[in-house]
Amino acid sequence: MLEFRDVTVFLGGVRILRNVNFHVNQADTVAMIGPNGAGKTTALRSVMGFTRMTGEILFDGRELSTIAPARRPGLGIGYAHEDRRLFSAFTVEENIVMPGQVAKFSAAELAHKLGRVYEILPELREMARRPAGSVSGGQGKMVALGRALMIGSRLIMLDEPFQGLAPALARRYSEALRALRDQDREVTLIITESNPKLLRKFADRALVLERGEVREGSLSDGKDAA
Amino acid sequence: MNTQLFALAIFDGVAYAALVFLVAVGLTLIFGVLQILNVAHGSFYAIGAYATASLGGMVFAAGFSPYLAFPLMLIVAVLVGIALGGLIEQFLLKRIYVKEGALQLLVTFAVFMILEDVQRLVWGVQPYFESSALQALGNIKVLGITYTVYQLIVLPCIALAVLICLRLFLRRTLSGKLILAVTEDREAATSIGIDADRVYLLTFIVGAALAAFGGALASATTSVVPGMGADMIVLSFAVVATAGLGQIEGAALTALLIGLGRSFAVYLMPELQVLVPYLIMLLVLLVRPQGLFGIAQARKI
Repeated sequence: MLEFRDVTVFLGGVRILRNVNFHVNQADTVAMIGPNGAGKTTALRSVMGFTRMTGEILFDGRELSTIAPARRPGLGIGYAHEDRRLFSAFTVEENIVMPGQVAKFSAAELAHKLGRVYEILPELREMARRPAGSVSGGQGKMVALGRALMIGSRLIMLDEPFQGLAPALARRYSEALRALRDQDREVTLIITESNPKLLRKFADRALVLERGEVREGSLSDGKDAA
Repeated sequence: MNTQLFALAIFDGVAYAALVFLVAVGLTLIFGVLQILNVAHGSFYAIGAYATASLGGMVFAAGFSPYLAFPLMLIVAVLVGIALGGLIEQFLLKRIYVKEGALQLLVTFAVFMILEDVQRLVWGVQPYFESSALQALGNIKVLGITYTVYQLIVLPCIALAVLICLRLFLRRTLSGKLILAVTEDREAATSIGIDADRVYLLTFIVGAALAAFGGALASATTSVVPGMGADMIVLSFAVVATAGLGQIEGAALTALLIGLGRSFAVYLMPELQVLVPYLIMLLVLLVRPQGLFGIAQARKI
C-alpha cells in the first residue's frame, strides 16, 4: 500500500536518502530502525510532502507527488511527529478532534472516532479539557498518537514514539499500540525507532535505514541495531 | 489643565485610539500569521476612506438616508479586503513567503507606493469630505463638553466589538482555530490536513478588511487626503511594535495608550503631538524589546 521508488532527498545540500526503495503491505506493522540521522524522519516527512525529493512514493497505487501535502492526511494518513507538535492554544481534545474537523467528518463520525481514540488511550479522556501546552512530554506523545488515530484510517506513522518516555509510560504506550492493533487489523503502521528491542514483540517486519539507504532487517536477534 | 480640558483630551484620545486600533489589529494579525510586515496596510486604510467618502457622497446626493453610511462602510471594507487584499496575497505575497524579511518588506512597500499613485489616479488630489454618518448621530453632552456621538460612543464600541469578535472568531470557529494552528506550527498544521495557503489568504483578507473598515469609519471624521495612508501605517506600526508583534489585546491597550498620549500632547505640548507616539514606542522598546505584551519567542496570536 506504500511504496518508495528510487527516493532521493537532499536537505541543505546533504543527501539524506539515497535511491531508497521499499514496499509496505496493507496491515503490516513495520519497524523502521536505524541510528539517529539515518533518515528515518526524512522518510516519513517525505510521505507527508515536507521534503524536496526525487523518485516516487506510491500510496494505494497513487503517486503522492500529485497530491498536495495538506490533502494527504485526507487519504487516511495519520502522522505523529517525534516532538509531538501539539497546538498549545487548544485543549487536548481539540487537538485530537481537529484533523477530523479539517477533513469535514460528520458529527457522528467525529464522536465515533473520538470514542475509539479514548478506548485505546483512556488516559486522554481524563486530560481532555486541559490545555495541550500544559501536558508533560510523555503525555504529549499520547495526545499526538490520539491525533494521528483520528485521521489515520489507512496508515499511521509514528516517529520515535518511545524517545524520551519514562519506562512506565513507554509500557503504557506499547499497550496502547497493541490495543490499536487488536481493534483495527487492517491499518498499516510504520514506527521509527533507534532501539529495535522496543519493537521486537510488536512489529512484524523491520526496515533498516543506514546512511540514507534501506535494507530488510530482522527484529529477532537485534544485530541490526546500529 | 482644568477638568474639561482633561476630559476633552481623554475623549479625543479614545476616539482616535479606536481608529488606530482597527488598523493596527489587522497589521498585527497579518504579522502574527504570515510573518510579513505589510506596509501596504496603510493603503487599505486610505482606499477604505476614499471609497466610503466618494460612494457615500453619491448615495447621499441621490437623497438616501445618511444611516446607509454604516452598511456602506462594511461593504467597502469587505470589498477592499477581498478584491485588493485577496489579489495582492495571491499574486504577490504568496511568492515571497519563503524569502527573507527585508525583501518582503520591500515588496509590500512597493505595493504601498503603487497604491498611493492609484489613489491619485482614481480620486485626484483634492480632499474629500463626507461626514453624513457623523452628523446623523448628533452630539452628546458629557461633563459639560459637547462631543459627537459617533466619535465618543460609536467608534469605541465598534473597536471593542471588533476586538471581542476577532477573539471569538479565532477561539471558537473552525476557521479561526485553523489560523491559530497554522500560526503556531505550519508543518504540524499541514500534517493534519490544514491547507496553510488558504489560511494565509483568509488571514490577509480579514486583516486588509479591518484596515479598510478603519479608513471607512475615519472618513466621516476627517477630510480624506493624499498621504493619510502613510501617516496611519507609521502610527499603527508604532502601536504594533509597542504592543509586541502579533498581540491582539495588546494592540488594543497600546492603541489606547498612544491615542491618549497623542491627545494629551495636543493640549499640553502641541509641538510634540507628532512625536509622542514614537517617544512612547522608543521608551517601551528600550526597556522591553519584545514589546509591552510580547513573548520573547513563541508565535501566538
